[in-house]
Amino acid sequence: MIKKHSSNKSLKEYLKKGLLFLLLLIILDNGINYFLLNGLYQYYGLYNKNKIALVGHSHLMLGIDKVKMEKELHVNISKYTREGVNIVERDLMINQLLKSNQQLKLIVYAVDAWMFTGEGLSKNSYKQFYPFMGENTIKNYVYKNASLEDYWQHRLIKSSRYNEGLVSGSFRGYLKSWDNLKVGAVDTITLDSDIKKGNFRRIVSSSKNRRIFENTIKKISEKNIKTILLYVPTTSRYNNAEMEKFNLEIAYFKSIESKFKNVIFLDYNVLYSSNTSLFYDRIHLNPEGQKLVTNSFIEYLQKHFTTN
Amino acid sequence: MNFFCGKKIFYASTKKAKKKWFTIALVFSLLPLFYFKYANFFIDSFSNLAYYFGVNSNKYVLNVILPVGISFFTFQALSYSIDIYRKRVGVETSLIRFTTYVAFFPQLVAGPIERSTNLLQQFYEKHEFDVKRFVEGGKLFIWGLFKKIVIADRLALYSDSVFNNPEAHSGTTLIVATVFFTFQIYCDFSGYSDMAIGSARMLGFRLMQNFNLPYLSNSIGEFWKRWHISLSTWFSDYVYIPLGGNRVSIKRWVFNILVVFLLSGLWHGANFTFVIWGALHAFYYLIEFIGKKMLTIAGGKHLMEKGYYKFFKIVIVFTLVCFAWIFFRANSVSDAFLIITKIASFSGHLWTGVSSVTTVLSVLLILLLVSVQILQFYNIVPIYFSKTKLPWFVQWLSYAFLLITIALFGMSSNAFIYFQF
Repeated sequence: MIKKHSSNKSLKEYLKKGLLFLLLLIILDNGINYFLLNGLYQYYGLYNKNKIALVGHSHLMLGIDKVKMEKELHVNISKYTREGVNIVERDLMINQLLKSNQQLKLIVYAVDAWMFTGEGLSKNSYKQFYPFMGENTIKNYVYKNASLEDYWQHRLIKSSRYNEGLVSGSFRGYLKSWDNLKVGAVDTITLDSDIKKGNFRRIVSSSKNRRIFENTIKKISEKNIKTILLYVPTTSRYNNAEMEKFNLEIAYFKSIESKFKNVIFLDYNVLYSSNTSLFYDRIHLNPEGQKLVTNSFIEYLQKHFTTN
Repeated sequence: MNFFCGKKIFYASTKKAKKKWFTIALVFSLLPLFYFKYANFFIDSFSNLAYYFGVNSNKYVLNVILPVGISFFTFQALSYSIDIYRKRVGVETSLIRFTTYVAFFPQLVAGPIERSTNLLQQFYEKHEFDVKRFVEGGKLFIWGLFKKIVIADRLALYSDSVFNNPEAHSGTTLIVATVFFTFQIYCDFSGYSDMAIGSARMLGFRLMQNFNLPYLSNSIGEFWKRWHISLSTWFSDYVYIPLGGNRVSIKRWVFNILVVFLLSGLWHGANFTFVIWGALHAFYYLIEFIGKKMLTIAGGKHLMEKGYYKFFKIVIVFTLVCFAWIFFRANSVSDAFLIITKIASFSGHLWTGVSSVTTVLSVLLILLLVSVQILQFYNIVPIYFSKTKLPWFVQWLSYAFLLITIALFGMSSNAFIYFQF
């Protein structure tokens, strides 16, 4: 009897400790989520009063220097770029921006010849949106894409919504660091050999994706916000792998320009795509390339735009 | 077969009959292991040898899938037959109890390799729920999970990319990949062992310790007393000692050492890379033995007691172990030599990994692991990471930190390296 009594006591003691530990975990989990989420908001420029927003994936992330733009144009800019995002996710990002930044005057939407290709981008890019699961549209999007187990794990354990890339993004937000760290130049021999072997991403335009894209543009136009479809250059060797299809995509972007009144298409391929020393790899600019493209873009905005 | 043969060995009236049933048990245990794991290796080696002597034979390859953890449960079943033969354990009459021992789920696929003298006996005991034991087991499980999915799987991102394509990487990158792999394999394997021991403890079972800070060993002999303890003691008890151990002539002793290390290499995989890995460790062991003897003769015994000498030896042993891991991880012997040649050049750009953030995080995690191991070495935190002398709030925060880090940085796709063995 005495033994049973003492083991009951120790069970109670452990339960009490267990509950307190759980409470500590919940507090820590929410605290870490709050800290990291705030950092990400700063990194991406969400929930503030910026007038310009840059939206796209890694091309734009490495292609345009937001800090230099802010300095030269004297305006605050949101740079909301996520690696490997597909067309639906870009729409989601625009929605998030429109909802969180009420003062937007201009959205710079990064385009490229492969953006309507369903295949090739990360199939699990929805995972990058885990940190924003507190927002209903994002929560529903994750619910549609993730397995039920994954969804609930990330919904309940908030720290699990982040990975090292997102943690680093959050810290960069606090540290106000948007540098392009991809130093070096593309290996042209490997690139040529890959193209010869057919080892490259094909351009396949899906009409469904084009429809989603046009709806996004329409949504921005309706808010009376100007849109620049910006083609941050990709290497000409890569662009020429399927030259005809590539040109068709460029023609399509030009047609959008005439279809919507507040839309401009800017293609920097013409100026920079043949200079391989400006590229980190076949599709991304290195800091030197970023500097040149940013300067040209700033010059263009200074000539043609005012955000007042 | 081991269950059936065990009965026959136990009840056999003559030594001859005992030996006969023991041989049958050995053959029937090792045959599946040989077929699934080593047949292709031997076929390949023989046809290469034949080709060398001018005989052109068509290469025949068995198309079989290696059952997960086959080496582990074969050795576990074998230990029962050997122990019965040596009269160390009584006969097991219940097939259910026996199969539960061989296929005990926490340690089924990657060890520790248990002994009938330890684990089988525990199936006779009544296991009541004990909250203290459950919590201790849980703590060990979390520590193992952290080592596996936070450290090992992250390090794998770098080391796998480099080792799978060594031609494309510089000597400097290959050094980093080797060090990363050294910690990866430790965290992967010891992580699994901790999870196995922890979950068994939660159920009320005691499994043997499998790792005891091996990278802080100051001799190769000590390394093998601390690394994969269940396998090294298995080989020691069931191979080395029956061969005569060290109570034989020096030539025979060298032979015994070679056999044990080569078998240990081969146990890890049917590839010459593993054989060379085993042979390298045998070589280290013998050189160390000779060096120690010479130093003692030269009157340097007092030097061996000095702290800085021990530290120097820890660094040397760690470097030698790292070097041997190159053979263990390389996809082929020629790849291993290419890696060594490139490392010797010690040049080229350092690859910063699939993402520099991941690589920096990997380095930080290694530093964290080393710090914890130093605390464990000085008994501030015991090996099993519980019952620590640290104040309660430090303990609570450390467990909360582990859980939050698992949630933040845990990766979930990589299988355990030791599943393949």
